[in-house]
Amino acid sequence: MPFNVADVEPIINDEFVGEPNKRALQYIQTKRSEGMPVAGIYCGYAPMEVIRAVGAVPAILCAFANKTIAAAEAVLPANLCPLIKSSYGFIATDTCPFFALSDAIVAETTCDGKKKMFELISHYKPMFVMDLPQLPDEKEAEANWAAMITKLKGFMEETFGNSGSPARIEEEIKATNEKNRLMNRFFDYAAKKPPVLKWSEAYELALLAQIAYTRDLHPIFEKVFKQLEEREMKGVCYGTGSSPRVLVTGCPVGGDSAKVYKIIEEAGGVIVAMDACTGMKPFLSEIEEDTGDPIAAVARRYLQLPCSCMTPNMRRLNELDKMIARFRPDVVVEVVLHACHSYNIEAYKIMNHAKNKHSLPYLKIETDYSDGDVEQIRTRVEALFDSL
Amino acid sequence: MSFIGLDIGSRTIKLVACENGTVVLRRKALTSHDPLAVCRSLLKDAPEVSIIATGYGRHLVKGYLPCETVSEIKAFAAGARAVLPSCRTVLDIGGQDTKAISLNENGRIDNFQMNDKCAAGTGRFLEIMATALGLSLDDFMASALSAENAHPINSMCTVFAESEVISTIARGVSRTAIALGIHQAIAARTVTLLERVSVADDILFAGGVALNGCMKEQVEKMLHHPIHVPEDPQMIGALGCALIAGEKFQGGK
Repeated sequence: MPFNVADVEPIINDEFVGEPNKRALQYIQTKRSEGMPVAGIYCGYAPMEVIRAVGAVPAILCAFANKTIAAAEAVLPANLCPLIKSSYGFIATDTCPFFALSDAIVAETTCDGKKKMFELISHYKPMFVMDLPQLPDEKEAEANWAAMITKLKGFMEETFGNSGSPARIEEEIKATNEKNRLMNRFFDYAAKKPPVLKWSEAYELALLAQIAYTRDLHPIFEKVFKQLEEREMKGVCYGTGSSPRVLVTGCPVGGDSAKVYKIIEEAGGVIVAMDACTGMKPFLSEIEEDTGDPIAAVARRYLQLPCSCMTPNMRRLNELDKMIARFRPDVVVEVVLHACHSYNIEAYKIMNHAKNKHSLPYLKIETDYSDGDVEQIRTRVEALFDSL
Repeated sequence: MSFIGLDIGSRTIKLVACENGTVVLRRKALTSHDPLAVCRSLLKDAPEVSIIATGYGRHLVKGYLPCETVSEIKAFAAGARAVLPSCRTVLDIGGQDTKAISLNENGRIDNFQMNDKCAAGTGRFLEIMATALGLSLDDFMASALSAENAHPINSMCTVFAESEVISTIARGVSRTAIALGIHQAIAARTVTLLERVSVADDILFAGGVALNGCMKEQVEKMLHHPIHVPEDPQMIGALGCALIAGEKFQGGK
């Protein structure tokens, strides 16, 4: 599904169009050469404001390629989530440039597979595993998570030889909020009917915005908004008014699993919302400012992230309601990675919620990083659109 | 004016030609390693007016033959309503997939489910199990129908199930009991899939596996509903395509 006119300028028009990982790598290399330590991260629960407050730059570690899975399966069971296998395989084969650049690794106990995989890679680099509370509504959860964040800060201060004052964390909270407001202004162009923005553009900017300091993003945002305004003026849109609008929810999607996004697009759909940690999820909420206890404010906000590892996870349904109201999808597609039990089981609730509360057709796609199921997925997606 | 539906499945390719909503031609051939050549030979001397294709090969032929494509779900829904106008649930078990489709009163697709990407519980699974038992497909079915009791088969992965069958034979269990056990295992899996869409009468059973009387009997027993097997159940997808082509290109005729 292309734009309605030819030769639309890419939203970030640099030498890395279509290669957001290379763009991120260049950013991190530049920061590192300026003397900044690099904190490798695997998950949306990594408290970015604290990482930045100690003067580090976060790097999202490789986890999305099929090519490293065979090497991983020499050690890990085959029946494990591809994201975990791929992550491990990248390290075992020493092929993740972000890991190579990392001075320390921040990890979280989101799921059993990751937890145990972290044990197997803990000897490569200094690593801090954060014990993530999984009953976020318990009254102790916030204090427990804040305690973990404080410990992480101590670990990074020691490892990097920097210090992060409460005032620096407060500054970073404000910078995140500013970034998130800009990102939401950007996502509003995907919410338009028809959208002015392609999913791959949202994906690319989201990937850069997760790791970059807000101040470094300003020149990019300026160009992005100028372009989007021009597109609107010229009547440029993605798909047509009648292309089915798709909200994709579920596991993180990137690299080889982006095949699902491509199939949806080839079947004539336009992806208007990406409800995943690799999409819009990290930017949707703000952190409370000037509370006098910035670590507690950070802890509160991250515990609100509705990952399926949380129970109960009513927030996911509430967030979904908001996204449906904002992006007005015609269908909900859920991507579940093989052996991701928590998303797979929760899918039943999401299906009922989409169908019963919103009267939206719902399709669950269980997949991995291989391309062996592309035609099977295509049949399902085409049938979903046929049934509209 | 005639309209052609082409269902390019994993095991067989089916062609149906319709004129004014009536079937004038049915053809079928094995898919082989060269489905495009098979399609061309099936289309030979067929009155080529407009073609709609479905099945796994639909995108392959799109580049070579003058045709449009629809998903199998849409094709089977249309074909099922044509042979059984009261149909509300379609079960299709083909060579490599199982589909369950629920339709509303007007025949619109309400919901659908498909088996995951492996061939567990499909026609290909039955073929491999028959081979493991040293039987032809017909004898495999007859053997299951004649069984007095069933030996349960637990693995649904085709490769593991084959090993299980071989080790069960080695333990001296009768072939008829194993054959029935295999049919029951597939039927149970099929019923689970059907229950994920809502099951409403009337139920139509299509696809090559619908030719297997033992499967029909077992699914009916577990579902507690009668199911209808149409004449020539393998043709339902191709028929649906031919009818959709008629509607699309000739406004309903």
